[in-house]
Amino acid sequence: MPRLNSHLVVDRISKSFLKANQEKVLGDISFEVEPSKILGIIGKSGAGKSTLLRCLNGLEKPDSGRILFQDQDLTKLSEKKFRALRQKIGVVFQSFNLLSGRTVFDNVALPLEFLKCPVAERQKKVDQILGLVGLFSKRNAYPSELSGGQRQRVAIARALVVDTALLLCDEFTSALDPHTTLEILELLKNINKTLGIAIVFVTHDINVVKELAQDVCVLDQGRIVEKGSVESVFTNPKHSVTKILLSELLKNDLPEFLQHQLHSDGLENDDVVLKLIFGTQTSTKPLIANLIQKWNIPVNIVSGSLDHIGKATFGHLVISLKHEEGTTENIVNYLRAHHVAVERAGYIRWR
Amino acid sequence: MALTDLVIKALLETVLMVFGSTAFGVLMGVPLGVVLYNASKKGLQPRRVLYQPLSFLVNGARSIPYIILTVLLIPFTRGLIGTSIGTGSAMIPLSIAAGLLVARCVEDALQSVPKGLSEVGISLGASPLQIIHKILLPESMSSIIAGITTVMINIVGYSAMAGTVGGGGLGDLAIRYGYQRYDIVLVVLIVVILIALVQGIQMVGQWGSNYYRR
Repeated sequence: MPRLNSHLVVDRISKSFLKANQEKVLGDISFEVEPSKILGIIGKSGAGKSTLLRCLNGLEKPDSGRILFQDQDLTKLSEKKFRALRQKIGVVFQSFNLLSGRTVFDNVALPLEFLKCPVAERQKKVDQILGLVGLFSKRNAYPSELSGGQRQRVAIARALVVDTALLLCDEFTSALDPHTTLEILELLKNINKTLGIAIVFVTHDINVVKELAQDVCVLDQGRIVEKGSVESVFTNPKHSVTKILLSELLKNDLPEFLQHQLHSDGLENDDVVLKLIFGTQTSTKPLIANLIQKWNIPVNIVSGSLDHIGKATFGHLVISLKHEEGTTENIVNYLRAHHVAVERAGYIRWR
Repeated sequence: MALTDLVIKALLETVLMVFGSTAFGVLMGVPLGVVLYNASKKGLQPRRVLYQPLSFLVNGARSIPYIILTVLLIPFTRGLIGTSIGTGSAMIPLSIAAGLLVARCVEDALQSVPKGLSEVGISLGASPLQIIHKILLPESMSSIIAGITTVMINIVGYSAMAGTVGGGGLGDLAIRYGYQRYDIVLVVLIVVILIALVQGIQMVGQWGSNYYRR
């Protein structure tokens, strides 16, 4: 993985809006993003997440404090130098913000046009990045012809097409369904891994932090109440806000009794526990019944919630079945081929 | 002169006045509208000291009845092209009226582009000029064309008053031959031609506006 200079230091920034006797929107915020790391900033709505992100990309100016990116203080640079540095910082917005009059290709080419990049080079770069986000075949489509997930892919491609070292994402999954969210998270993880681009995102969804982030900052009323690696914060939350947010995570995850018995390596006679997530593209075939017939194997449905909108199935299902590495692999592949996202939750021995 | 010749001559004068003035109006109104937008509170570079007087001027000039504007502008017109009489002279106040109307629609159209889109430009490090040129104008093209169409149809109405400064045109013909000589057939004929003209402008405008709407 290439190591880009994406070092970001946020040093005691504060911000308040010019309204009488209003409390600070952001107070004394400090954190650091090391090169090629993924930081998630989580908080309830009104916690100041978006304002914080807008400070990082220069859409708002903090009242005090420093924001160091590649060892330069963003709050002190001249307009011109700031513009140049800003081109290293890509931004993905909640509402995609694509230009409706431009095709996918031309939307992604926009940053290169601003840089007056020659046409031949522009074409090469755009096609390359469209391949990366899996939208090459849609390059001549207009945004109105795309699904939400595809639009967000275009927005990600647009943010990456210049020499981006840091990607800022503002509530980028709020407008997406759970299945599409997972796909976009996979894409971002992949981008982080292969290109070494650091990612800072804000969200109110603890699941997104769990899936994507390595480090996390918990924001409440404009202040960071807890920060650290996802592992340490999730396993040992200290602040009440963090605990409340984490309880969200359990609600749509596994049933509690199961969590205690779950272990991470599959032994003989164990059952494997799979979490299936159904989305817009999931087929209407009776997948579980087919699976039982095909492998001649009993399936235990542990928990789930499924809903139908039109012809599509939404929701998740937790099943367990007898574990045997080859078979499990085949079954996972079978389900994925039918557009079901599959997560191996762990292994369990039924008593 | 036979009546048909009169009608054809008047139609040509009207077409010249309407299309010519709209063209000048666009040349003047689009940049003015962009400046208005950019200096406004919602613009990229808010400048109260520039916006307030400019906006006042545009609104003030628009609230003067067109026929009075023509009269007020007589010295200006004479200074510019040497005479205040004739089709060419009538086009000067028409162009200015069109320019002011276009400026307001361009300002409104630019303001109605979602704020997030200019923020994309800002966060990509684009200059205000680049944002206007590459993002705001293309994204509002559909409403700008719809606005220009409305302005053009207004100008068709205004051009009827061109007769007062000897500008000719269909409206003038309808008043002199139709109303004052009470030639009802001619009035009906001119009305039909004007309806067709307005319909044509509306249709082309609609098509253009839809072309840019996605």
